[in-house]
Amino acid sequence: MADYKEMWKDLGMDLETHDQLCEVLPQAFTDVYLSQENRPENMAYYDFVVSEIHGVRPAELIEAQKKGKKVFGSFCIFVPDEIVFGADAIATGLCGGSQFWVPGGEKVLPTNTCPLIKASVGARLDKTCPFFRIADMYIGETTCDGKKKAWEILGEDVPMYVMDLPQMKRRKDYKAWAEEITDFKNTVEEFTGNKVTADSLKNSIKLINDKRRALQRLSNFRKNINIPISGKDVLLISQIAFYDDPTRFTQMTNALCDELDKRVEEGVSVFPKGTKRILLAGTPLAIPNWKIHNIIETSGGAVVCEEMCTGTRYFENLVDESKDGLEDQIDVLAQRYMGINCACFTPNNDRIEDIKRLCKEYKIDGVIDLNLKFCNLYDTEGFLVERELKKDGIPVLGIETDYTDSDVQQLRTRIGAFIEMLD
Amino acid sequence: MKKNFYILFDNHQNGLKLYKLLRDNSLKATISPTPRSLSKCCGISLIVAEEELNQVEKVIIENEIDIIGIESIIKDINPNRDRYC
Ligand code: SF4
Ligand code: SF4
Repeated sequence: MADYKEMWKDLGMDLETHDQLCEVLPQAFTDVYLSQENRPENMAYYDFVVSEIHGVRPAELIEAQKKGKKVFGSFCIFVPDEIVFGADAIATGLCGGSQFWVPGGEKVLPTNTCPLIKASVGARLDKTCPFFRIADMYIGETTCDGKKKAWEILGEDVPMYVMDLPQMKRRKDYKAWAEEITDFKNTVEEFTGNKVTADSLKNSIKLINDKRRALQRLSNFRKNINIPISGKDVLLISQIAFYDDPTRFTQMTNALCDELDKRVEEGVSVFPKGTKRILLAGTPLAIPNWKIHNIIETSGGAVVCEEMCTGTRYFENLVDESKDGLEDQIDVLAQRYMGINCACFTPNNDRIEDIKRLCKEYKIDGVIDLNLKFCNLYDTEGFLVERELKKDGIPVLGIETDYTDSDVQQLRTRIGAFIEMLD
Repeated sequence: MKKNFYILFDNHQNGLKLYKLLRDNSLKATISPTPRSLSKCCGISLIVAEEELNQVEKVIIENEIDIIGIESIIKDINPNRDRYC
């Protein structure tokens, strides 16, 4: 148990409050993760990352900063990490997935704001997360209204740059997003003092694509009838993907996949025969939000796919690696990112098509459409999603929840009944 | 009552080193966040099997791994507890 107190103190953290999180994490993690039988051996790496979550990676980032590197924090998978790494800087995710940070956000935000936003703002203002202290600049985006306004509040406390994400997908919107990426590049160059060149961008496009390829490879194992890894384990890996060093993450994830290759050959499954295959669709599940996966997987279901930002939306579609000039590279970056089907776009029928396609690919028995409380976008879109899935004969259950434990009994009842009905 | 045995470390490097050594020796080991009842500091510890404790200790001594100690607590792992963080 390394003592990171000095480091946290230097970061200006509120140690006493932070300690309350350290108090609950070991048991929650042990209950959810270490209770599993026959986990892949290579999950050890991710268990290590969580066990040291506020220590090892923050220390690495601080070391990099001492050598003159800048760290950029972001909250949405539309922010192109390729630009940041292309300027020899480091990108890290900053989404808060714990109830622990929510009251801090509620001090300045309306209560009817989604918990993801409240937790993210609370983690910064309450000084209880090292990653939020370390990031030199935050990158926001104009996706939902809650976030847009939250950036103004956060911007009073930390350098904040906001990317203007179009809300439609017409030709001019693709162009506008490419221009936004160019402006973002200029900002990153100015802030770091480093140029993004065609060569450095080529390398960083490959770097991030490699991470996506590893996650795609991992995801493909879940299409098997024998499921060699649990949904909650894959969720944990997806969550860590936002924080970890991309090169190491890719390497460790591929090592895990090598092990899963063997499991597939041997027909190993971590679930009993007949376990119902569930696709989760909807709002993102930021670390350490493991609640829904745990409830499903202790109620006779297996999560085999997440149509989420902590899921397929993060790793499907690669950036075209064949382009050489900066302008063309930025164009293909814009194309790849505009291919993400988030509910902040209108219309967003392609998302429904995505879910239907994933249901086939992953041989889904039922879909759970998950909504973080007060997320107006996904809640409203849920009406269309659920209607269209039902038309196709796919059973679907809509669920709204937040980060608290207060609804777990009710969720167990509803999810349990839904899974039973799938028989 | 069944107990869980945890090896505690001063730093994660020693924890990872021992994890690898134990696995190389085909001994059971699971990386775990250190339970609060065992230490105020977070960070990794290793869960090892009670019936392999002697062999585990041998590996620690032979390889001169620095550990704080081996502690046990009553096994209490429950995925239905529904206490999230
Ligand atoms: S749900 Fe939409 S706004 Fe939220 S992180 Fe994903 S892409 Fe960004
Ligand atoms: S979950 Fe919904 S409300 Fe929350 S940040 Fe994402 S889009 Fe906005």
